[in-house]
This record gives sequence, structure tokens and C-alpha cells, in this order.
Amino acid sequence: MMRYLRIFATFFQASLVRDMTFRLNFLLEATTSLGWMAMNLAFYLLVFSYTPEIGRDSGWTKEPFFVFVGTGLVINAIVQAFFMPSVEEFAEMVRTGGLDTALVKPVDAQFLLSLHRFKFSALANGLVGVVLIGWAVGRLETPPPPVAWLLYPLLVGCGVAILYAFITALAAATILMGRNQSLYDFWFYITNFSRYPAEIYAGPWGGPLRMICTFVIPILLVVNVPAHTLALPLSGGDRRLILVTLAAAAAAVGLSRLAFQAAIAKYRSASS
Amino acid sequence: MPASAPLHARGESSNPVIRVAGLTKHYRVFDKREGIGGSLRGLFRRQARTVEALRGVSLEVDPGEFVAVLGPNGAGKTTFLKLLSGIITPTSGTASVLGHVPWQRHDDFRRRFALVMGQRNQLWWDLPAAESFRLHEVIYRVDPARFARTRDELVELLGVAKLIHQPVRELSLGERMKLELVAALLHEPEVLFLDEPTIGLDVVAQHAIHSFLRQVQQERGTTVLLTTHYMKDVAALCRRVVVITHGRILYDGTLAEIVDRFTTHKIVTLDFETPPSDAAVAAWGFPCERRGPQVRLRIDRDRIAGALSEILAGESVIDVTVEDVPLEDVIAGLFRSAGDDGEPTAALQEAVR
Amino acid sequence: MTAVARSGGWPFHGWTTMLSICVADRLAHRGDFALGTLMRFLPIVTQIFLWTAVFSAAGSTSIAGYSRNDFVAYYLLTMVARSFSSMPGLASGIARSVRDGSVKKYLVQPVDYVGFLLAARVAHKLVYFAVAAAPFALVFFLCRSFFPWPPEPPVVAAYLASLVMSFLLGFLLEATLGMLGFWFLEVSSLIFVYMLAQFLLSGHMFPIDMLDGIAVGSAGWSLSLGDIVRLLPFQYTAYFPCAIWLGKLRGADLAVGLAMEAAWVVAAAVACRFAFLRGTRRYSGYGG
Repeated sequence: MMRYLRIFATFFQASLVRDMTFRLNFLLEATTSLGWMAMNLAFYLLVFSYTPEIGRDSGWTKEPFFVFVGTGLVINAIVQAFFMPSVEEFAEMVRTGGLDTALVKPVDAQFLLSLHRFKFSALANGLVGVVLIGWAVGRLETPPPPVAWLLYPLLVGCGVAILYAFITALAAATILMGRNQSLYDFWFYITNFSRYPAEIYAGPWGGPLRMICTFVIPILLVVNVPAHTLALPLSGGDRRLILVTLAAAAAAVGLSRLAFQAAIAKYRSASS
Repeated sequence: MPASAPLHARGESSNPVIRVAGLTKHYRVFDKREGIGGSLRGLFRRQARTVEALRGVSLEVDPGEFVAVLGPNGAGKTTFLKLLSGIITPTSGTASVLGHVPWQRHDDFRRRFALVMGQRNQLWWDLPAAESFRLHEVIYRVDPARFARTRDELVELLGVAKLIHQPVRELSLGERMKLELVAALLHEPEVLFLDEPTIGLDVVAQHAIHSFLRQVQQERGTTVLLTTHYMKDVAALCRRVVVITHGRILYDGTLAEIVDRFTTHKIVTLDFETPPSDAAVAAWGFPCERRGPQVRLRIDRDRIAGALSEILAGESVIDVTVEDVPLEDVIAGLFRSAGDDGEPTAALQEAVR
Repeated sequence: MTAVARSGGWPFHGWTTMLSICVADRLAHRGDFALGTLMRFLPIVTQIFLWTAVFSAAGSTSIAGYSRNDFVAYYLLTMVARSFSSMPGLASGIARSVRDGSVKKYLVQPVDYVGFLLAARVAHKLVYFAVAAAPFALVFFLCRSFFPWPPEPPVVAAYLASLVMSFLLGFLLEATLGMLGFWFLEVSSLIFVYMLAQFLLSGHMFPIDMLDGIAVGSAGWSLSLGDIVRLLPFQYTAYFPCAIWLGKLRGADLAVGLAMEAAWVVAAAVACRFAFLRGTRRYSGYGG
């Protein structure tokens, strides 16, 4: 409803004001993430000096691969800017009773808890990602058809939704299990799998792994499907995968919400 | 007779705002073990025990009442409030606040009450209070004109107008608490839950909050439930006191009656012309203090008249004072005599009957 | 008046206490350490698949002298090397203690501040290896087919020597960095640059041999980027021990490499000591 939009707008403004107040910190964070990203780009260029393609006949030559990298940057930037900051302080919030405060308000708790703080410095990487995509798409062998451009933002949104679902599940686990560092490491390891195109997971071990990470824990759909749609020609199987992605995004968000509701129903609150 | 049954005769009012019956909350707690051996063992098997935070609490509160829930630390007061505000769900028992079951967390319900917890922060840490208030207005869907009026009134009443534009984390505990109270009342709730609101505050702040609460409650007829372990809060604000110890209600009635109900003696202070002998003093009652010609004793209530006439007849007395046992001592005694297993001692059960 | 700490010998007596506290602390977070140590190897799985994919289209079974198996072995070995040379929080910790004044207590006690920090790190690493040995062993056993096995005794000896020196070098470099806190208020940007450089140039991301194909300078020089990177001390914190184990360095090269590493350790020790002495003198000059 309108009310939720207005609440979001208030939080947005507050975070913006805060980030602008600590301008130095903002610049430092942006520079840090840009620095790491630049090194990774250098690494990819180095690898491509030794091979023309990542995975034989996968299609991921240099330019499509950089579309993939750029897409990953954009999706991660959105998640890091708008969802991660709220969830990062979640464990601390639960510990100090912030969850109690949220539960007493006539607003959806999940909304309040996952969308109250933003970190705009994380968008820096996203901007680079956009530039990268622009550069790489311009150099593609076959430029993407118009429908690909229509599908791309939708699929990027699905990728963000799937990651958001993971975050929500993480939050639900935090409520039930209290502060647990390995939960956040979990996030890193899960997303680490999707750093490269899914096609690298081939062979007797890779095949099943790829299946699991596509259909059970759909982490490999997040960056792969939008990037593939934009950068490479689509086969029948690829088209089906787009539908799977749309369904997976909806299912993931729904399931994680159920998990979250279940967690707050069982909430014990810090003893006092 | 179960100690949790209310002693104070309930009025004939037909529609209590808060209705609680047999509310119980148990927690399973896992014990952390000490040392390396313990930690290793803890990897495979954990020791669990059950903490009974609340054991069958029942009461009713009428609209507009100001009730204090008094009890020592760990008595279950905060658990009780958390149940009534829907933060946690009970193990058994029922409760209804404003006609809703709190732990179903309906938005309609949540819009009609407010919860303030002492030393806990509800205002958004980085925002100035004014921004938090604005957020509050949107969250609770308060009509803007009404909101502005209410806010200005409350801010004026507590004298915090200069503070609302500073970031909350820069303020002192007392200032923050006042702003929390303003925030809580912005949507004009019908029920207000306060959990130890004056804890950690200095006397001046406590006093300001007391008069604020009194005034607001009288003007708006808000039903207030306040938990505390400070006598001062109780004495300043409420007539009805519910004493909770070890998860059970020990007493539910007026403050005045507590002294009557739970003490069997009074304190008598006598100023003598010539100090009496110790033996004589011991015969009259139980001596507490002797300072030269001044003696303080505890004398059983039924014996006071007799003892006094004896003393006045036999000795030359300059001054006599008869007082009740101080409230703090009575309450402290109540907390103590509940016993470690939460069962009232025999003596207490007698008094309660 | 200067309050310069004087070295009073190893603070051995603190070690056992520190050790038991570290162990207890680790075990207290049972869920964490059981899962955490194994999970640290998960990215290796991605690496294996990545390099297999890279090789499948490369048209050659060797990239920069490494086969696909060599790459996997290399990354596993960098994890071992990094576990020796990484010093989480050392530089920032020193800088912070200078900033908030808690470094003062070390300056007035008859305890060598740097020695104390070193002892703490040694204790920390011992505990870490004690609890991480099992997961490490498990992973290496599972991945044994990737390794050229078995290595000759001199290689093993050289490898272990390089690991110990890599620990010392990592410590001294970061400690010196932290000492800059005596001069600059905000050392975090410097630390960030150091971390960046180390990540890129230590061989953590990729074997430095991959840079050998990039020529630098005009025709007369015949220097490669790899040669230049190897001049820096960063390679000893990840690349160097791995290269020894994988047999990339033999005979004279190996001896020279070890000698260079030792020279860097000495240089860093001198720099660290110098920074400390100058720093504390400057610090006390303000009458903290």
C-alpha cells in the first residue's frame, strides 16, 4: 500500500542523509569495493590471455563473460545496497530487543526488518557493472534482440528476488538460533558458487551439482539466466530456464516468507 | 487457596480491557558448560532445563485503571508484558487485550496500544526524534493534523522541544526515555504497557515522568500497566498493585491494604525522661533501636493499646509516635517470604487468607 | 622523558594462559568452528571447476607451466601458506591501540611490545592449527590425486623453512604497517592499499608464473611482469612456499629464493623495530 511506500521513502531519506553526513566513510567504502572489483577484472583479463573461452563450446568467450560479470556486479550491488545492511545488524537487533520493537508495530515485521537501512556506497560497483555491460554488449558477435532487452531487467529482478529470499531465510535462522557467525559465512559460500557461469559445473560431479544449484537451491539462476539472455543466443532449453527462473523467484520469496513467519511465531525474546 | 487468586474484590464493571486467565510461559534453556572438557561435551549433548517464567497468572483490568505490577528481578513481570503485547506466545493460558488475542498480532490490535521498555531503544538510533515521530505517524496512520497537535502537547508537557532535532544517540538516558514516552503516545493508544520505565534514571527525571504519566492518564483515560521494582513509581502513580514473585501473583489489591494485610505489628517510638531498663523494654515489645532516652520498638497490633497504657502509666514519657512498617520493608519482606521454590510460606499463606 | 620499552626476554609465562583461553574461546563457539573450518574449502570446489573449464578451451594442457591439477594443488597450498602468513586484525589492532591510548601500558611495562604481539600470534596460530589440522588433513587426503607426490626431503625441508619465514614476514610487515599509527591518525586507508596489493601480488589470486608472459619495458630489457612482482616481498606470503612444493624452484634458484626471503624477514624486522622506537619516542613526546 501507499503506507509502505511512504515508510520506505522515510527510511531511504534517513539513510541518504546519514551516508552524506559520513562522507569520508562513504567514499572509502566505495573505493574499497571498486578496488577489489578492479583486481578481479584484471584477473579475468589475465585468464583470457591464455584461453579464448571459459568452458569449451559454452559460449562464454570474453565479451559474453564480461556481460556475465557486469550482471553479477549490478545484482550484487542492489542486494548489498538495499537488503544486506538491514540484515547485517539483524543479529544485534535481535540480541538487544529491536525485534520486540518491530513486532509491536502495526506493520509487517519482515518489511521493517529487511528494509530499514541502506548503504549507497555499494551502488558504485553496480555503476561499473552497467558500464561493463554496455562495453561488452557493444562488442558481441550477435547483438541481443529487442526481446532480450525487455527480459533482462525482469530477470535481473528475479535474481535479486532469489538472493533476497536467501537473506530472509538467513534472518529467520538468526531469530531461531541467535547470533551465529557461520550463518553469514554461509552467505559468502553460497554466493561464491555463482561467481562464474553455471556451465563450468560439468562432468560426473559437476553435472549433479549444477542441477542441485539450479533447481533445488536456485543460486545458479541468479546471474546466469539474465546474462545468458542478453549475451548469448537462446536455445529451447534456455527459454524453459527463463520460465523456471520466474517461477523460482516467486517460490523462493514465498517460501522464505513462510520460514520468517514461522520463526517469529516461535520467537522467544531475550530474557529479562 | 491458590496464591494467584485476586484478593481485591473486583468491581461490577462488565467490560475489562485486559483479561488474563492461567497465563503460563515456560522456556527450555540450554546450559553452557565450563572449561574445555565441558565445551567438548557440549558439542554432542546439551544439558537442558525448563525455566518457568510465568505460572498461571490471572487478572482483569478495567478501562482507565492504572495498575502497577511489582516484583523482584526475574519474577516474570517483563515476560508478562511481552505476552500481553504479543511479542511472545504463551505455553498455556489465555489473554485478551482490547478484545484481541495479543500474540495473533493483528494490525488492528497493534494500532491501539503502545509498549515502552526501560533502557531499550525503540526510536531509530540514527534519526533525530522528530524523524522517528514522523515515521510513527505514517506507521500508525495518524491523521496529520491530530498528530501535530498531540505531538506538540506531549513535547511541551515533558519539556523536550529542544531535543527533538538532535540524533537520539547523543542524548542522555533520561532525555531518551522522555522522547520514547512521547513517541508511544503519539497515536493516542488506549492501553499503555510500561516496563520499568524509570530504571537507571535520576530522581529529577523520574519525577518528571511520574507527573507526566499521571497527567496523561487522567486526561485521556488510558489504561496503564506498569512494571517496576521501585516503590516510588508505585506510590506516585497507582492505587492498585499486583505483586508477582516467581511467576505467580502473590497479591492483587490496593497499596494501603498491603500494609494492613502483611504486617502484624506497628513501630512505636518513645521519648523517655529517664531511659528505662533493657528488661522493661523487652517486656513491652521487640526493640529495634535505642538511642539514649529514645527507644524504637515493634509491637504487635493487637497489643499496642495495652502496651501503651502500661508504658504511659509506669514511665514518664515525653513523646510517643505510632507508625506503620515502611512500605519498602513490607514489599521486601513479601519478595523474600515467597520462598525459593516459589511456593508461599505457610506464614504468608495465613496472612493472605 | 621517553618511556621506551626494553626487551625483557620472551614472555613465556603468558603463553600457557593465552593458549588455554584461545582454545576455550574457540570451542565455546562450537557450531562455528566445526562447520567453519570445513566450509573454508568450499571455494576450492568452484576453483576446480573453473580451471577445468578454462583448460577445456585453452588448446593446451599447460598454462604458464601449470597443468589443471597443478592449479588445484596450487590453490590448496595457498590456503596453507595463507594460514601461516595472514595476520587478521594485527595492523588495525596496533593502530587502534595507539589511537585510543591503550598502547601506553605496554610502553611502561618491562615487556617488549612487539615480542608480546608475536607471542600472542604464535599462540593463536598454534591453537588454530590444533583445531584445523583435522579438516585440513581431510581435504588434502580427498584431493591427493591433484598433487605431485611424494616430494623429496630437501623440498619438504625448504617448504617448511619458507612457511616459518612466511609467518614471520607476514607478521613483521603488518606490524610495521600498524606502527604507522604513531604518525598517521587514519591508517585504515593504508591498510586497505596493503591488503589490495597483497591480494593481487602475493599469488593468492593466481600463480605469479602467469605474469611471466607479459613483457615490461623495451626490447633491450627482457623483463617480465612476473620478474618485477617477484622482487616484492608479497610473493612470500602465498606464492613462494607453493612454488617450492610444486617443484617450480630447484637447486640454485631455490637457495637464492630462500636467502631472499630471509633477507626480507631481516629487513622487515629492522623496519619494525625502527618504526617502533621512533614512533614511541614521538608518541611520548606528546605526553600521552
